[in-house]
Amino acid sequence: MKEKSVSQLQLQRSRRDFLRSAALGAGALALPLALDLPASRLWAAGPATVRGYGVTTSQLKDWSVMTQSIGVQMEFTGTGNDVGVFLRDVVASGLGDQTDIFVFEAGTQDILGPRGIYLPIDTQHPALTLWERTPDEWKHSRVVQDAEGNQWGVPVIGNADSFGYFPEKLGLDPNSEEELSWSLVFDDPRTRGRVSFDRTWGYSLPMAALYLQSKTGKPFSNCADLQPEETRQVVDFLIERKRAGQFRTLHSSFEEQIQLLSNREVDVINCWEPAVREVNLKLGKDATRYAYTQEGYYKWGHGAYLPVQAGDRDNLDAIYKVLNYYLGGEYRALQARDRGYAGPNMDLAVAYARENGWSAEDIATLEETERKIARKFSKPLVSTTTPSNADSMEEQWQRFLNA
Amino acid sequence: MSTSIPDTQAQVAPPSLAAKTPWRTLLGRIDWPLALFLVAWFIAVVVPLLGVVVYSFFETKSFFTVYTPSLNTWASIFDSGRFEVILRTLRIAFTVTAVELVLAFAFSLWLAKGRASRTVKAMTLALMTVPFFLDLSSRTIIWRAILGENGPLIPLLTGIGLVEPGSAGILYSEWAVHFGMIIALFPTMMLPVYIAISLVDDTLIDASNDLGASPWQTLTRVVIPLSLPGVIAGILFTLGSAMAAWVEPSMLGGGFVNLLSNSIESAYSALRYPVLAALTTLIVMILGVLVLAFVLIGRRFGDLSSSFRVLRS
Repeated sequence: MKEKSVSQLQLQRSRRDFLRSAALGAGALALPLALDLPASRLWAAGPATVRGYGVTTSQLKDWSVMTQSIGVQMEFTGTGNDVGVFLRDVVASGLGDQTDIFVFEAGTQDILGPRGIYLPIDTQHPALTLWERTPDEWKHSRVVQDAEGNQWGVPVIGNADSFGYFPEKLGLDPNSEEELSWSLVFDDPRTRGRVSFDRTWGYSLPMAALYLQSKTGKPFSNCADLQPEETRQVVDFLIERKRAGQFRTLHSSFEEQIQLLSNREVDVINCWEPAVREVNLKLGKDATRYAYTQEGYYKWGHGAYLPVQAGDRDNLDAIYKVLNYYLGGEYRALQARDRGYAGPNMDLAVAYARENGWSAEDIATLEETERKIARKFSKPLVSTTTPSNADSMEEQWQRFLNA
Repeated sequence: MSTSIPDTQAQVAPPSLAAKTPWRTLLGRIDWPLALFLVAWFIAVVVPLLGVVVYSFFETKSFFTVYTPSLNTWASIFDSGRFEVILRTLRIAFTVTAVELVLAFAFSLWLAKGRASRTVKAMTLALMTVPFFLDLSSRTIIWRAILGENGPLIPLLTGIGLVEPGSAGILYSEWAVHFGMIIALFPTMMLPVYIAISLVDDTLIDASNDLGASPWQTLTRVVIPLSLPGVIAGILFTLGSAMAAWVEPSMLGGGFVNLLSNSIESAYSALRYPVLAALTTLIVMILGVLVLAFVLIGRRFGDLSSSFRVLRS
């Protein structure tokens, strides 16, 4: 045993020697190492690096823009968008050991925050300069807080979802911005057999609950986290509508949303807003519209969350710079232009576009997005992807699918 | 006869001798490779399965497994209609397999023993492998455009008078799912059946004809029994793939044809592992009963193992 430890010591020593000589060879690194300066000082010369992990579409198409603006480099690993997978990755694979920032669909904070796996956001951090001016509906939403109101994240992108429709098939004025009822999805005789409904329970059940409570006049405790008995009521209603032939089909992907509209297979579909945009590129301007609704919207969002391990890291300041960057005009404008996503502080995006000489058309689109978000956010919103009643909601949803 | 002599000797050996070396006798009689295989099989298959059965008695609350034994998960399997999902999946999988078997057997018989030239055979086999180069979803999504209400199928069927004008098409129905699966799984059934039939020695078929058997008798008494290994392989491959079908029910069933993989995926989205465990337990039990029935029925029609002799040639 003793011999082994001696040889291990030798191995370590020779490795150190090797590293030292390599550093000496590198020249630039030689001096601080010889003077025994802290390792973090070595980075002072180049930009700090922050390692991100999460939803692929939250990325800038070119992170070097951010490096130029705030002097922080991003190494991002993209992944799909599934809360179950996020939980598994973070808990089982211990991703916090290698990652500085997670960008996930809302919901993981409810489970990982209180269990001490996420680091609470220090809203007073000096690098988080845009926090104060960020509207409450973004920074204090359930996307970035848990049920008790603890701050676990910074909002990155988000939108309020409703449904897409063909105005001409429903006899509606394509230029009108009147608020439509969700009855077009669930109840309207004009749309019977002409509706596609999203197959994802976490997305579609809250929407149905939102409509049903306004129809019956009996509000649910929380449309996004229905109690088992409430879920049963909503699913009974959906089964009744399914049997009445209201739904032409159920869809389960973004590509299907686009296909169903562009093939004119359905007249109404509860879908993502970019689907309507894609379809209009194909079928012509305003061929389909995305509804303003009477009853409210499904609000979704991606937040940036920090693993608890990041709290002790040397690059914590750089991490907060990136969090602040997510709230700023450059990220907002680029995400809106390149991916069609909205987010907090749209006004900063408009200002950024003006300062950087964007075309009048691009600026007008950003302003339109800002106006649209403000209008939708003034309505009731339902949101959360990890409801505490997920098990009963998923089970009842199966009943709907099998009916 | 020579092999039976040691057995006879063992039986007549004095009991005192057997009592002195019971272990040696026992160890000598064990077929070691078989025993090792069975032990490995027990560890690799049965032990995890027992774990799965135990897990099915837990439940999930708010994305975390609650390790308190209860029957809640099992009750939910029946309440949510998941049990019907299993039955529906089995029904569709068996229907598809049966249709495939009829189609693939006829096709393989023509290709292997018909008058097709070598070139035709080679080309046909090559064409059968083409689908494997393209992703299943890409192949299936094309059928949506064809089977949909704005596709070419409806005007065609309306023209023949098979379908009422203004019909919504067969997309988003069990018909469409069956159709998509039959198209996709044809090579899976056909290739093993074809190999088995082509291995049947032509001289046996000639002999059968020379002895005055009708073509039907030659088929049922010579070709079919000798091609059973390929048929069984084809049935197992096709049935397995059909049970796990995921793309066709999603894309052609329009979400209304809820099959096992879709149901499992949904449970996984809420991290309901006990539900997955219960579903797995149920399927293994149902398949176990079916295999047993298969063997019992097979026995009535003769010695199945004799069919495998064809593989030695």
